[in-house]
Amino acid sequence: MALPVSPPPDPDQDAALASRGAGDGLAEGTTNVPASTSLIAEDLASPTPQHSGAVARPAAASRRRLTMRKAAPYLFISPFFILFLVFGLFPLLFSIYVSFFQWDAATGLGGMEWVGIDNYAFVLMQDDWFHKSLYNTAWMGIAGGLPQHLVALPLAFFLHTAFGRWRNTFVGIYFLPFITSTVAISLVFTSLFSREFGVVNAMLGALLHLENIDWWQPQYSKTMISFVVWWRYVGFNTVLYLSAIQTIPRDLFEAAIMDGASRWQQFRHITLPMLKPMIYFAVTLTIIGSLQLFEEPFVLTAASAGDGRMSGSGGIDQAGKSAAMHVFTTGFGENDFGTASAVAWILFMIIALMTMLNNRLLGRDTEGR
Amino acid sequence: MAGLSLRNVRKTYTDGTDVIHGIDLEVQDGEFLVFVGPSGCGKSTLLRMIAGLEDITGGDILIGGERINDVEPSRRGVAMVFQSYALYPHMTVAENMGFALKLAGESRDAIGAAVGRAAEILQISHLLDKRPKTLSGGQRQRVAIGRAIVRKPRVFLFDEPLSNLDAALRVQMRIELARLHGEIGNTMIYVTHDQVEAMTLGDRIALFNAGRIEQVGRPLDLYERPASRFVAGFLGSPRMNFLRCEPAPSASTGSLRLRLGDAGEISLNRPVGAAVPVALGVRPEHISLTRTGDGLRARVELLEHLGDSVIMYASLAGQRDPVAVRLSAHPDGLEPGATVGLLPQAEHVAIFDAAGRAMSSA
Repeated sequence: MALPVSPPPDPDQDAALASRGAGDGLAEGTTNVPASTSLIAEDLASPTPQHSGAVARPAAASRRRLTMRKAAPYLFISPFFILFLVFGLFPLLFSIYVSFFQWDAATGLGGMEWVGIDNYAFVLMQDDWFHKSLYNTAWMGIAGGLPQHLVALPLAFFLHTAFGRWRNTFVGIYFLPFITSTVAISLVFTSLFSREFGVVNAMLGALLHLENIDWWQPQYSKTMISFVVWWRYVGFNTVLYLSAIQTIPRDLFEAAIMDGASRWQQFRHITLPMLKPMIYFAVTLTIIGSLQLFEEPFVLTAASAGDGRMSGSGGIDQAGKSAAMHVFTTGFGENDFGTASAVAWILFMIIALMTMLNNRLLGRDTEGR
Repeated sequence: MAGLSLRNVRKTYTDGTDVIHGIDLEVQDGEFLVFVGPSGCGKSTLLRMIAGLEDITGGDILIGGERINDVEPSRRGVAMVFQSYALYPHMTVAENMGFALKLAGESRDAIGAAVGRAAEILQISHLLDKRPKTLSGGQRQRVAIGRAIVRKPRVFLFDEPLSNLDAALRVQMRIELARLHGEIGNTMIYVTHDQVEAMTLGDRIALFNAGRIEQVGRPLDLYERPASRFVAGFLGSPRMNFLRCEPAPSASTGSLRLRLGDAGEISLNRPVGAAVPVALGVRPEHISLTRTGDGLRARVELLEHLGDSVIMYASLAGQRDPVAVRLSAHPDGLEPGATVGLLPQAEHVAIFDAAGRAMSSA
C-alpha cells in the first residue's frame, strides 16, 4: 500500500489523505473505518493556518502519525516474534549446530570443538545410559499411555450415554489432573506411594495382603511413574473422545438400536469406528508426550535421592530415567551440550518415526468416511 | 405383516410438557398411512414411540394384536427409515443393509441372500461394495430403505424420508415408494409435513395438530370434506380462502344466506343450523369470475402465471386477506386494479363455526 508522501498544499487536503491512508493501512477488512478516521480529519483540520509558513508543520506531523499508524500493528505483534526468535528458533537451530561440536558451555563459544557426527555415533553406539533411558521411556510410554486410551474410550462413551446434566461436572473432575502442576501431583503421589505410610501400600495390604512395597526400587519405579502419568492424562483423552462422540449423529445410534445393537455393540460397531480419526489424533499426542516424558519421573525420582533436592536423576539404577531426562542430565549435569543436543535430535527423529508409523496404522482410513 | 393399533396413546416429557394427547388409531394390514401436520405437531414423536425410540407415557400400542409397549425396538417387527438416512459411514452398502441380520447372528450366506434380494428390488445391486459417502442422495435413500426391507419388518416407518432430496428427485422417489408399497404390500406409516406427499402416497391420511389427530381419512375426503378449518387450510395449494361472514338478516327462505362484509351476500343451498357460521372457506379452484355487479365485488391485486393456470389475488371489501382464485386461462383485459365479480361455487363451499369446526359440509 503506497501512500502519497509529497507534502500536500493545505491541511484540509492533508487530513483527507491521512484518513484514507489510515484506512488503507490499519483497517483493511473492517468496516468501521470512517468513524475512526474522521476524528483525525477533524483534529488536523481545526488549526487553520494563517500564512504559508505554517503549512509544513502539520504536514510533517501527519506524516509521523502515518508512519506510527503503519508501524503500530507490527509493534503490537512483535513481542511474540521476538520471544520466539530468541527462545524458540535460535536455540532450535543452535542445537543442531552444537550437536556437531564438543562443547562445555563454561568455556564460552571459543571452546567449541568440531567433532562431526561423533556425538551421534557415541549416543547411538556407546551411550548405555541413553539406551537404558530410551528403554525406560518406551516401557513407561506403553504402560502409561496405552491404558489411557483403553480407559478413556469406554469412559467417554459411558459419560456420554449415562449422564445428562451432570456430564460436564464429571468431565471437569476428570480433566482436573491435566491442568494441575506436575510438581504438586508428583509430591502428592510421592506420599501416596510412601513405603511405610502410603495409602497405596495400605490398600494393597488390605486387599491382596501384600507386603509393603518400596516403590522406588528399580523393579517398581517405572510402574509407579506410569501410573501417575496414566492418572494425569486419562481425563484429557476422555475429553477428546467425549467431544468426538458428541459429534456422532444420534440417528446412527438410533438406527443401530432399531437394528438390535446392544450398548456394547453400539460402542463396538458405531462409536469406535466413528472415533477413528480422534483415536489417531489422541494416540499421536500420547506418542509425542510419552517420548518427551520428563516432569513426572524427574520429580518422582527426586524423592529417592533423599538429599532434599527436587531434581531426580532417575532413581536407583536410573530405572525411572526417561530419554528427555537424559538430555537434561547430559547437558546441565555433565555440561556436555554437544552430546545432549545430539540426543535431543535423535529423540526428535524417533518421535517423527513413531508418528509416521501411527499414521500408517491408524491414520490411513480416517478419510474413508 | 400386521396391522397396528394405537389406543389412547399419550406422551409427556419429564418436564411435564404434553406432546401427544391420547391418540386412537387403527392402521389396517398392508395400509399406507401418512402422518401429516405442521412442525411440532407430534407426528414424528408418535412414529418414534411406535419404533420404540421414545417411551410411551400412557395407552397401548399393538402390532398384529400384540402389545409392544415394553418390547425392545428391534423385536417389535418394525423398521425405520430416517430423514438423514442414518447410514453407517464406515460400512459398505451391503454391510449397512445386512447389519441387523449380522447382529441377529444370521449366517453369512443368509445375509448375502437377503441383501441381494433387497438390492434387486431397489435396483442398487451395483452399489453394494460402495461406501455411503460416495453415493448420491437418492441412492442413499434407497440404501436406507433397503436396510429396512432386509429386516422383513411387519411395519415400515418412514420419518420424512424425502425431505433431504431435491424437488425432482423427490417426485421420482415418491413414485418409487408407491411402487414399492404395491410390490411388497407391507403396512407402512409415513411421516411428512409435505401435503403433496401426503395426498399422493397415502391410502389414508392422519392429519395432526398440536398432539392430536384432527382428521383421519382418504386423501380426497380430507380435501373435499375437511372436518375443521385447520384441515381445510392445511391441504391444498394455494390454500383455501377463508372469508369472514355472518348470517344475512334476510334469512327467511329456510336456506342459509351469508353476508360477507361489504362485498356482498352469498346464498347456500343448505339449511340454517343452530351454530352461527363465522367463516366461509372456498378453494381457489372453486371460485369463478363473473361480471362486475354479480357475485362478490373484488379488486384484482396480482396475477401469477403458472403456465397451466393463472392464480389471481383479489381484495374484497371488509376482508383482511386477499382471495386467491385459480383461473384456467388469462381472461382478456384482466389487469391489476380491475374490478371483478367473484362467484364461489355454493356446492364446494365449507362453513366454519367460531371453534373452527366445519358445519354440515356440502
